[in-house]
Amino acid sequence: MKILLAILAGLLCGVLSGFGIGGGTLLVLWLTLCAGLEQRAAQGVNLLFFLPTAASALVLHAKNRFISWKTTIPAALCGCVTAALGAWAAANMELGILRKLFGAFLIGIAILELRKKDSSTGSHETKQRKN
Amino acid sequence: MKATLRSAMAGAAAGAINGLFGAGGGMVLIPLLTKLCALEDRKAFATAISIILPLCMVSLFVYQRQGDLDLSGALPYLAGGLLGGTLGGKLYQKIQVIWLHRLLGLLILYGGGRMLLG
Repeated sequence: MKILLAILAGLLCGVLSGFGIGGGTLLVLWLTLCAGLEQRAAQGVNLLFFLPTAASALVLHAKNRFISWKTTIPAALCGCVTAALGAWAAANMELGILRKLFGAFLIGIAILELRKKDSSTGSHETKQRKN
Repeated sequence: MKATLRSAMAGAAAGAINGLFGAGGGMVLIPLLTKLCALEDRKAFATAISIILPLCMVSLFVYQRQGDLDLSGALPYLAGGLLGGTLGGKLYQKIQVIWLHRLLGLLILYGGGRMLLG
């Protein structure tokens, strides 16, 4: 039953990740608040989780030519350096502080998400205003 | 050249978040890609995944060395995630995502509050 629930949580978060809207953030919340994992362990599971999910979504996105490789390459190169630094910082931080930092980060993200406008109507309105 | 620099900056921000929190890199990256790098929405989503995949590998390597990984506990989530990711990719062109954003925003707000207070 526990495993079934885990598969289901993974499935749901996987669909969101495939859309590119933060399935991972939700999974870390699930793991810490509902499944009782420690903050760092939950983060580790989520990193693992992202690999197959992203790889499978990526194949389809690449086929549909949605990926801007000239953006990807410099971003990934630079990001790998800061990812290593960030992961090192997380490993050397007190768990309670990491958890609170994550909480603050989530609230910032939530505000961004809630303020998001419907992209199709949003761009249409801008165009009309310009004309 | 300037575009390359902007892409590199967006990637650096996503990397730091990905390493520190093991999640949320995409939430930072997508607004940066659409605003700073002027990618259209759908391209930004797909490109963000292609950037975050290598970042995850680097972060995982560090987590693994620090002993913060539990492979067997993660397996059922991976199985579900693989299925869900494929499904998400297939539905991607057919769905209005704005309501998902709103729902997700509320869930994350609640979760963030519990993390801060708990």
